Amino acid sequence: MPISPTLFIIPTGIGCEIGGFAGDALPSAKLLAAASGCLITHPNVMNGGSLSEKNKDIFYVEGYSLDRFAKGEIGLKSVKQQKIGIIFDSSIEHELLTKHLQVADACVATLGIDVDSYVLTKKPLGIVIDSESQGISDGLIENPDTLIEAGEILIEKGITAIAIVAKFPDDLDLIKTNSYREGKGVDPIGGVEAVISHLISKFLKVPCAHAPALNPIELNENIDPRAASEEIGYTFLPSVLIGLSKAPDLIELTDKNSNITLHPSEIEYVVVPSGALGGEAVLACIERNVNIISVQNKNLLSIDNHFLKYPKLIEVNNYFEAAGLILAMREGISPRSIQRPLNKIQELNFINQKF
Amino acid sequence: MKLRKVDFYLDWPVSIKIINLRRFIKGNLAKKGEVIRWSIVDIKDSVDSSDIKKIRINAVLVNPVNS
Repeated sequence: MPISPTLFIIPTGIGCEIGGFAGDALPSAKLLAAASGCLITHPNVMNGGSLSEKNKDIFYVEGYSLDRFAKGEIGLKSVKQQKIGIIFDSSIEHELLTKHLQVADACVATLGIDVDSYVLTKKPLGIVIDSESQGISDGLIENPDTLIEAGEILIEKGITAIAIVAKFPDDLDLIKTNSYREGKGVDPIGGVEAVISHLISKFLKVPCAHAPALNPIELNENIDPRAASEEIGYTFLPSVLIGLSKAPDLIELTDKNSNITLHPSEIEYVVVPSGALGGEAVLACIERNVNIISVQNKNLLSIDNHFLKYPKLIEVNNYFEAAGLILAMREGISPRSIQRPLNKIQELNFINQKF
Repeated sequence: MKLRKVDFYLDWPVSIKIINLRRFIKGNLAKKGEVIRWSIVDIKDSVDSSDIKKIRINAVLVNPVNS
């Protein structure tokens, strides 16, 4: 059966009921990958703190690069293995840094991942968290140059994919943090994480992903299962290293010498939460006349097709339906034939014909 | 290099079709700086004109103009 390449997007920091926590959209991603035969998705979907999986049908692509793929600027090339380097924020304390280095060694020893080397930033990244925009997670870093400079050192040494570990403040709003851990709030740091990885993608053009370094916080006995994968270790680095280990190379489409495994013109579907249609990848796919499957997945936004009026958008109630729809169309079965009531075929006449 | 967050409403005239909306927004953002991250976070009908929708853009820019 031919594949139906599908982009699966769950924007970071908008409080999605599925995918707004810690890798809790991964089962949905696996289902969509099985249905489509080829899923392109981003770290927010795949990273569950200490937990993640490799999947031969899933391309792990950081959000900024995923947008570029959707815009038709780059293609994806499968690799056997990436050579990973890690950028550590120099404000990470010695003990916490040691824990992260042990995680990296463990991923080499136990999983066979090629984590080669690391570099400390010359200056602290300077995380600034902000969540004023309708409760959406947001923020900045004060020293972007030091991040890029550290990444350049790794690339000069032959690194092909970059993990970034930034130190987040110990005085995070505990009420917000516990609300998130208990499944009632928005991930307070997701927005800044996206900025950090987008900077690396934009300026260094290599696969990358971010893990926050956080000192342990108090035990909470009411942790929501969706956030639980962030409670089971000292670091969130394992999922990043697992994802990056086989992340595809990003190939500029102007580079005629490279073989491309997946070209952006092959995208058949975009699966995105309802209300979250205002991102660059979705709008770029609308330009390219790609089918959009909008899935009920409660979140803070309300950018829906009532405003966009895109004719090739199908609304479904859940990811089971999205997967069934993709599989049906991949098999050449008209979705209409499975739904009831089933209307008779329409007669067209020349009077109503519009050109 | 400096980063700055911007959050503003933009008038989306009906003459701009949906297939051109992304480029329309990027064109407006480009006047403010180089884009790292952006999305539409709200849309509403204009109270002043039926030919315009108000779209709220949230973005992070690098080397913003007038910073």
